[in-house]
Amino acid sequence: MKVFINGKECEAKQGQTVLQAARDNGVYIPSLCYHPKTGPAGKCRVCVVEVEGMRGLQTSCTVPVKENMKITTNSETVRKAQRLVVDLLLSSGKHDCLACEQNGACELQDAAYMLGIEHPTFSLADTKTDIDDSAEFVYREHAKCIQCGRCIAGCNTTVVNEVLDFGMRGHDTKVICDIDLPMGKSSCVQCGECSQLCPTGSIIDKKTRGKGRHWQFKTVNTTCAYCGVGCQLTLHVDQAANKIVQVTGREVVPNDGMLCVKGRYAYEFPSSENRLKYPMIKKNGEHVRVSWEEALDYTASRIKEIVEKNGPDVFSAFGSGRITNENNYAIQKFTRAVVGTNNVDHCART
Amino acid sequence: MISEFLIKQIESVAGRYPHRGSALLPALDMVQRENGNSLTKEDIACVASLVGVSPSKAYGVASYYTMYNKEKVGKYHLQIDTNIPATLMGAGVILKHLEKKLHIKPGQTTADGLFTLDEVEDLGSCGTCPVMQVNDVYYENLTIEKVDEIIESLKKGIMPPRWDNSHFASQCNILLKNRADASCRMITQYQQKGGYKAFAKAQAMQPSEILELVKYAIVRGRGGAGFPAGMKWSFLPQNNKGPVYLICNADEGEPGTFKDRQIMEYDPHLLIEGILIAAKAIHAKKAFIYIRGEFRWISEILDKAISEAREAGFLSECDIIVHRGEGSYECGEETALIESLEGKRGCPRLKPPFPAVKGLYGCPTIVNNVETLACLPFVLEHGAEEFRKIGVVGNAGPKIFGVSGHVNNPGVYEYPLGTPLKKILEAAGGVKGNFKAVIVGGLSTPILTAKEAETLNMDYDACLKAGTMLGSGGIMVINDTVAIPPIALRTIEFYAHESCGQCTPCREGSVAIKTLIKGLIKGHGTKEDIDKILELCNTIMGTTLCPTGDAFSMPIRAMVQKFRAEFEALVR
Ligand SMILES: Cc1cc2nc3c(=O)[nH]c(=O)nc-3n(C[C@H](O)[C@H](O)[C@H](O)COP(=O)(O)O)c2cc1C
Ligand code: SF4
Ligand code: SF4
Ligand code: SF4
Ligand code: SF4
Ligand code: FES
Ligand code: FES
Repeated sequence: MKVFINGKECEAKQGQTVLQAARDNGVYIPSLCYHPKTGPAGKCRVCVVEVEGMRGLQTSCTVPVKENMKITTNSETVRKAQRLVVDLLLSSGKHDCLACEQNGACELQDAAYMLGIEHPTFSLADTKTDIDDSAEFVYREHAKCIQCGRCIAGCNTTVVNEVLDFGMRGHDTKVICDIDLPMGKSSCVQCGECSQLCPTGSIIDKKTRGKGRHWQFKTVNTTCAYCGVGCQLTLHVDQAANKIVQVTGREVVPNDGMLCVKGRYAYEFPSSENRLKYPMIKKNGEHVRVSWEEALDYTASRIKEIVEKNGPDVFSAFGSGRITNENNYAIQKFTRAVVGTNNVDHCART
Repeated sequence: MISEFLIKQIESVAGRYPHRGSALLPALDMVQRENGNSLTKEDIACVASLVGVSPSKAYGVASYYTMYNKEKVGKYHLQIDTNIPATLMGAGVILKHLEKKLHIKPGQTTADGLFTLDEVEDLGSCGTCPVMQVNDVYYENLTIEKVDEIIESLKKGIMPPRWDNSHFASQCNILLKNRADASCRMITQYQQKGGYKAFAKAQAMQPSEILELVKYAIVRGRGGAGFPAGMKWSFLPQNNKGPVYLICNADEGEPGTFKDRQIMEYDPHLLIEGILIAAKAIHAKKAFIYIRGEFRWISEILDKAISEAREAGFLSECDIIVHRGEGSYECGEETALIESLEGKRGCPRLKPPFPAVKGLYGCPTIVNNVETLACLPFVLEHGAEEFRKIGVVGNAGPKIFGVSGHVNNPGVYEYPLGTPLKKILEAAGGVKGNFKAVIVGGLSTPILTAKEAETLNMDYDACLKAGTMLGSGGIMVINDTVAIPPIALRTIEFYAHESCGQCTPCREGSVAIKTLIKGLIKGHGTKEDIDKILELCNTIMGTTLCPTGDAFSMPIRAMVQKFRAEFEALVR
């Protein structure tokens, strides 16, 4: 369908919101509480626009497009309201971008930049800092929270761990774990969904703190090596140190951004000293590096020898949850068809 | 610890609701009462698992509502309301007196653990301020002597009985007709005076006929917005197969408002009859009365009246459940009320969808104010034409005006819509001192100067024309002994305290305005700060999720604009 954004004719799809249509057409409207995964919340009020025929300002994240809709995203009225929202958010927290992990990847900072806000006008922040450092992998700083609710929606509706909710009210509103426990003492499973959804530096990955700036990392898209689900993820790599410093989930199938605690936070193994990097055969009591040909030939000949001598039931194969279904299928096929035994097992059997 | 007995009771409460999540608020209240008037985190977690919600959800709820005490309180919890009418009527003196007498500040408990003193928001008792709530009991029209008597008695372990010496009068004799006769609370007496005849009439009618009748009468909603009830009902989806709910809004939270309680306390069957008529018109099989939790004794009166009506067979087609709030002004807003009734924090929902389409438990729901529903028996009994004859067409029917502040006889006065303000103020004994300004529709409506108010008629359209709103009809009179900036500060403090915290302009904007006004009063404000306040009000208006942003930016803007000189005089 056709809509007009700031006088320009644009294409929009049935069922889209004004915000989505604007984004598809390259028009920037600041947004904070909206995330495609958690849906329109209408809470932050920064995405307001004017729509001809509708009274007052409208939140673009909640209003569906209509044929020939006339939308204004840059009038003075709109900008004033948007600026006030961002100004109030900056004024009510501790937004010291220089020291913040999220610097350069923060949606609040982006909005402030796009709206030309240099300094917050008001000083409404509580002086006490409220940091929750109790959990193993997730780090929380309440003073950077903008009460957008994305973490809560994620924890309750995407990963359904039901740990987070809002506590208190008004200016004192804050994100709580269970009965307002430190995260490390709560029922949180450290999946990191909340951290990934947080638009600001309020919930971040603890291990990444101090490891560098977001723009310095090289990103590599890959498949998680931990299990057969095959979650899609992005590695954030410090190239100079040749180390992974953060893992984020990609919002595609099969995981839609979600990861488990291992996939997201147990990423040190590729650079482990003890990692097996090439085949080895134990010769005279010592592991010696050999070629793949030698290793495979040796293994095949030993299997053949042992099975011929003792029968196929002395052989047993053990599959793994860390390889794919196809790999596991091949293992059982080999065991049954080639070796001739049903001795097949798997680490994730119980 | 939660006893076996209590667990059983919670189960039985949960069974009364279509969804057990609704039992969260009552369950927390029951546990608090059992465990010495406060809730521990462990109790909250326990209730969460009993009701079947996550611990964070239960804690989120417990920390949202003011009536849950997260910290230990004394045997007697003394709560002094210091909202605008209270301040105008001397609550400050009472509070100071108590501080001195008990040697504690608000928020503290005496060493012997007997008294906890707290400053609270409006208690829905503005005509009889100063008022103090002690545990569940209201003591109204307080003087220093009365406070001393109460404290002495409490020290002996005796709760003095509550009294009622408030002023009231009625020209219409419809909504307040039984105000003077407490015996009308009993169904026999109510029926003897002709009660439930209107319901009998409705029983013989088709739902659509009732709807048409109410539509024709133009019963504008008495909750604040003045939206015609019949028209609202007609927004319900046609051919709806699932349940439809009716909710009576008895939250009465708007400062300056204390009208609904007069009906509920003295004529509960009038409300029940109105509810049954509306329920019949909209095919509701279940109705809820959402009453503010502080009105506990009134909720008990309602419970009793409902069981009488049930025994009399009037509830055979629609049952009524009384649901108590737990301390939140925001829950008067209809979608926040619905959330609260579902056992959640009082955060308004996005509209659309409107409750008539998707409300309680996702079903079509009509929310109407107590006074709106209490008008219905008259419409049924005497006809729409008679109703339209009262007041002006389009602004028809009786209205209860609550008059508080600087008048000689603060109280409730029932007059036709469109009655001159002057006449209502005369009924209230006239203005005490020199009339300076008036807020005519509850605290969220723009203030008028005495001059602007001189010829004002009290109906929806006339008030709009005068640059204010009729709102709830809570009239607060201010004389020239009072300066406006402190009134503005107390107003914004109230809204900052009650903001649900969902959306930025209200949550942080209210605090920004509060900070600026406080700065001015403290003497370190500038002229630019005054403009900043106006700028904030102008920008917040229309950008919030629910009408609360407007509810404070409109009155604050009016106070600053109309009394700018008083604000400027604060600049050093
Ligand atoms: C912040 C806020 C507080 C409100 N408080 C009340 C209240 O205490 N009682 C009430 O009846 N309506 C209150 N309302 C209005 C309700 O949302 C709703 O419009 C009303 O109950 C509908 O009933 P009516 O059409 O019969 O007036 C409030 C609205 C807002 C925005
Ligand atoms: S959360 Fe964003 S705006 Fe706040 S300090 Fe961090 S980068 Fe800056
Ligand atoms: S890490 Fe996962 S389980 Fe823990 S609070 Fe965040 S989203 Fe919920
Ligand atoms: S912690 Fe982050 S995601 Fe959660 S409400 Fe605050 S800003 Fe939003
Ligand atoms: S305006 Fe926003 S923050 Fe204020 S009460 Fe309404 S929804 Fe809550
Ligand atoms: S993004 Fe639309 S209100 Fe927050
Ligand atoms: S009850 Fe005291 S101000 Fe309303």
